[in-house]
Amino acid sequence: MRELLATASGTRTWAAVGELVRPRRGLAWGALLVLLAGTAVGLITAPMLGRIVDLVGAGSSALAWPVVVLVLVAVAQGVSTAFGTSLVARLGEGMLADLREKFVERALHLPLERVEKAGAGDLTSRVTRDVQVIADAVRNALPVMARAALTIGLTVVGIAVLDWRFLIPVLLALPIHVHTVRWYGGRAVRLYASQRVAVGVQQQQLLDSIGGAATVRTFGLASSHVARVRTRSQEAVDLALRGIRLLTRFYGRLNVAEFIGLAGVLVTGYLLVGAGSASVGTATAAALYFHSLFNPINAALALADDAQAATASLSRLVGVTDGPMPSVEGRVRPVDTTIKLAGVGYSYVDGHPVLRDIDLELGAGERVALVGASGAGKTTLAKLIAGVHEPTSGSITLGGVELGLAARSVALITQEVHVFAGPLVDDLRLARPDASDEDITAALARVGALGWASALPSGLDTVVGEGGHRLTVAQAQQLALARLVLADPPVAILDEATADAGSAGARELEEAAARALDGRTGLLVAHRLTQAATADRVVVLEAGRVVESGTHEQLLAAGGRYATLWAAWSGTRS
Amino acid sequence: MKTVRKTTVLKGAVTGQWKSVTLASALGAAHQTGEAAVPLLIGVVIDEAVRTGAGGRLVFWIGVLAAVFVALSLSFRFSLRCGEKASHQAAHEVRTELAARVLSAHGGAAHGRLSGELANIATSDAQRVGQVNLGLPIAFAAVVGVLVGAVALLRVSVVLGLLVLVAAPVLLGLAHFLGKPLERRSDAEQDRAALASGVAADLVAGLRALKGIGAEATAAQRYRVTSRSSMEAAIRAARSRAWLDGSMLAMTGVFLAIVALVGGHLAASGSISVGELVAAVGLAQFLLWPLSIFSWVNGLFAQGRASAARVAEVLAAPPVVPPGSSPLPASAPGRVELTDVVSGSLRGVSLTASPGELLGVVARDPADAVSLLAVLAREVDPTAGSVTLDGLPLSSVESSALRSAVLVAAHDADLFEGSVRDNVAAGGSQVDEAMDAARVDDVARALPDGLDTVISARGRSLSGGQRQRVALARALAAAPPVLVVHDPTTAVDAVTEVSLATGIKRMRSGLTTIVVATSPALLAAADRVVFLASGAVVSSGAHADLVADEDYRLVVLS
Ligand SMILES: Nc1ncnc2c1ncn2[C@@H]1O[C@H](COP(=O)(O)OP(=O)(O)OP(=O)(O)O)[C@@H](O)[C@H]1O
Ligand SMILES: [Mg+2]
Repeated sequence: MRELLATASGTRTWAAVGELVRPRRGLAWGALLVLLAGTAVGLITAPMLGRIVDLVGAGSSALAWPVVVLVLVAVAQGVSTAFGTSLVARLGEGMLADLREKFVERALHLPLERVEKAGAGDLTSRVTRDVQVIADAVRNALPVMARAALTIGLTVVGIAVLDWRFLIPVLLALPIHVHTVRWYGGRAVRLYASQRVAVGVQQQQLLDSIGGAATVRTFGLASSHVARVRTRSQEAVDLALRGIRLLTRFYGRLNVAEFIGLAGVLVTGYLLVGAGSASVGTATAAALYFHSLFNPINAALALADDAQAATASLSRLVGVTDGPMPSVEGRVRPVDTTIKLAGVGYSYVDGHPVLRDIDLELGAGERVALVGASGAGKTTLAKLIAGVHEPTSGSITLGGVELGLAARSVALITQEVHVFAGPLVDDLRLARPDASDEDITAALARVGALGWASALPSGLDTVVGEGGHRLTVAQAQQLALARLVLADPPVAILDEATADAGSAGARELEEAAARALDGRTGLLVAHRLTQAATADRVVVLEAGRVVESGTHEQLLAAGGRYATLWAAWSGTRS
Repeated sequence: MKTVRKTTVLKGAVTGQWKSVTLASALGAAHQTGEAAVPLLIGVVIDEAVRTGAGGRLVFWIGVLAAVFVALSLSFRFSLRCGEKASHQAAHEVRTELAARVLSAHGGAAHGRLSGELANIATSDAQRVGQVNLGLPIAFAAVVGVLVGAVALLRVSVVLGLLVLVAAPVLLGLAHFLGKPLERRSDAEQDRAALASGVAADLVAGLRALKGIGAEATAAQRYRVTSRSSMEAAIRAARSRAWLDGSMLAMTGVFLAIVALVGGHLAASGSISVGELVAAVGLAQFLLWPLSIFSWVNGLFAQGRASAARVAEVLAAPPVVPPGSSPLPASAPGRVELTDVVSGSLRGVSLTASPGELLGVVARDPADAVSLLAVLAREVDPTAGSVTLDGLPLSSVESSALRSAVLVAAHDADLFEGSVRDNVAAGGSQVDEAMDAARVDDVARALPDGLDTVISARGRSLSGGQRQRVALARALAAAPPVLVVHDPTTAVDAVTEVSLATGIKRMRSGLTTIVVATSPALLAAADRVVFLASGAVVSSGAHADLVADEDYRLVVLS
């Protein structure tokens, strides 16, 4: 049922990484060269130790200069590693910043319908968890892996330089490495994918049960919910342990490669020294070289997990950044602010339409109330006009322009309001970045929020939203209306934006809403029919169809659905 | 309520998995012993085979090397499996325990915490607590590794052995000491770097609001600024860490050079063999690993302790109210009486719902309604006055008995993922009558699979009014002796509202019901209405009589 957002293919993901590196080619080469130099210097260690062995074997104790070289190598290696790793960090962090910025930009431009279909959790987890996983990999795994890869590569070169014949056992071990990595890679990707899903399901269950804790308590549902959490958690644990089993089998295979390589190097040393074509020192150096490969290989592979996870996360980010960016060009300026619906139909579930054949016109500046039974499709219609969903059939135009192509947008305010974390003025300036202080206070005053807003601890600079000063539902709603005033969209829709504030609060909000809508084409979805009675026109929706349309008086006189609703509404109020 | 401290949490995590932890430790020790043996064997092969050309010795020692590899490989494999199992399983137990505590009838655990935060404690923190089980065996194995390496080195040469054993820890200690300020700076920068994530999550959470006002580009621009400053901080953090790593690397290299120098002189003077020199250098290199493991494990334990403290805080959260102990008589008549109740915004409220009565309560100030519901649900005990059920103070009644006797259906009750029917049945057994009364039949007619339609989490795939009706049906299905409902019809149309009022009245006949609402349709159906304003009862009587009051009319009829 959920249709998750796109995930990029492996090749595409790497190509995207390439695109991120390209503008930093200089930095990348610099980092590579510095690390390369450091690693190359480090390779002197083993032959120096071999040299000491040879000197000692020859009965000499003039060890001073090889030891001095060892010390110099150590210092040079330390410095180059520090410098190289810093460069890698600059490279990695820069790429990460580019990627996340591009991601957030694309994510914010995604059609809401797409986001809703995927479940809000999908986007949130990509923007938090996936970015974090990649950041961790960039910060911890990338430098270690880069160094390890270089060490491995250069050590092989070092062994070859020492005596090319030592390469034979190394090349014997290599295919096992390659095969093992491939064997693991294929399996791990699949396992990681299902693990991610299981963890996601577990997270969803936790949020669902914990978020509904009050309800769970009220109805004594704790035991069944704890059981659900337990099942989901156990499923995730089982998959994680399967991953560990795979990983340890992977290590087991690598041990085989290690053994074959090391034993081969020793045997080669034995043969070469026996044949008199290599010194004991050379054989020692080769063995030490190979043994010193164990740690970097293990270090790199221990991070294979992180790298694997980061790759999966990366493909989830690239999947979104690769999506088309809605082009601003080609947008047409609507001639006026009328909204026209022609033959509009919509279904959430195929074959089960909730809106059918809707023809409706909202004149410029007209205020229309949309009423009808619960479940009739009012919210759905509001979302269609706001461009949240695309109609399954028919078309919606704004000022003669197809809604998706119009250069102006339709604002929708519902009961779910969000207060952006940060100073209150910043929240408002999202609507109009260049708004002056006067504009801001004027907007607040217009929706009757100036009083409480200036009375906040630090006035309009008070930090609100998550982690800041908590606003009441009604205040948050007023803030949303103030944003609307600042953004000044030609068309605005309010979907029961005022219903939850309690009836006294509702009346106040209704007035604020009316002022915010002044001069705009407005659609008001309301069960409180007082709002309908004061609108320019009332449209009645019934089971997904428009059944009546006219002024309050006309519809009362007609004695249809609206008259029935009004009778029920006013009957209890007289 | 038992006290839960972080040590309790950590101990529980370890003892709960002691078998796996022990096995992992033993196998880990075997693995480390094997790793220590490899450089020794390299030295032996050089000494006994490469230098002498003895083929038989070569075959023999390569065979030994093979055996050591098999042993170390297998012991590592099963050590890691056991350790990870202990880690994940312990995390699972903590997670389940947390869920049980948060959802338990006592309440209080969720107090002041967002559900995202709690979910995070149940995942990330639980995991970090579990990881202590991974760290313990690794630490133990490292100790054994150090001991084995030390003994082997001392056997080669006491001088070399002591040199390595004294110098290596000093070296690591020094690195640790020098690294502290760097590390602190790095951590501080890292915190700053985390800011970008918070801003992004906030923007995505407010996506709908952003779209509504066409502020996508502005928001993206704003994010870019945060992201850039986070990037700068992260680079500074990484630079500190890079120099820390670099100096560590340099010191290790110098250490190896010293070992080679001393070992070389010993070998030159004939006190040790060349192979032993090779082994000593190899061992010195090897020993750095188990030693460095300690600081890593230390970090793991520090994280584990911090997480355990957060877990313990939730587990130890006091119940919102002290639980009572008396049982309730089998069939409660359901007389609810508030006497001079002071609580929240209520200032001395007295009211009675007689058995079988349908009592309406109108609160002019929404805060009064919230406070009233809180004392009825016994989320708080009144600061003064009393609330009784059939003469028994609510505070004395055992909590699960109280919950089944007095059901408070909140306005913002949640639906859960599952079919419509399942959601209603979660309330109680009178499913069909309840669905009839709450007009769920209308809801079902509009849905693709009727009552079997699966609704998504939080009931998001229902319309507002449909959601409200299913929630009402669930409360009615429980058929409790006393039912308190809050604003059950704010999201439905006027016609449905009238029908719900009748449904409630019909289904609750003979049972005590308190309807806290401002809807005239509901109030007209009530036997009696109490009007609250400014935290006190202003008037009471039939709805039809109260409408004569100007204040009442303003609240209810506008
Ligand atoms: N996300 C969704 N997925 C599937 N079906 C949905 C979804 N949202 C709404 N529906 C269905 O579409 C129909 C119309 O819902 P809508 O929310 O538009 O009604 P409404 O007129 O706003 O009702 P109310 O007055 O109760 O808010 C309902 O039958 C509802 O179950
Ligand atoms: Mg709706």
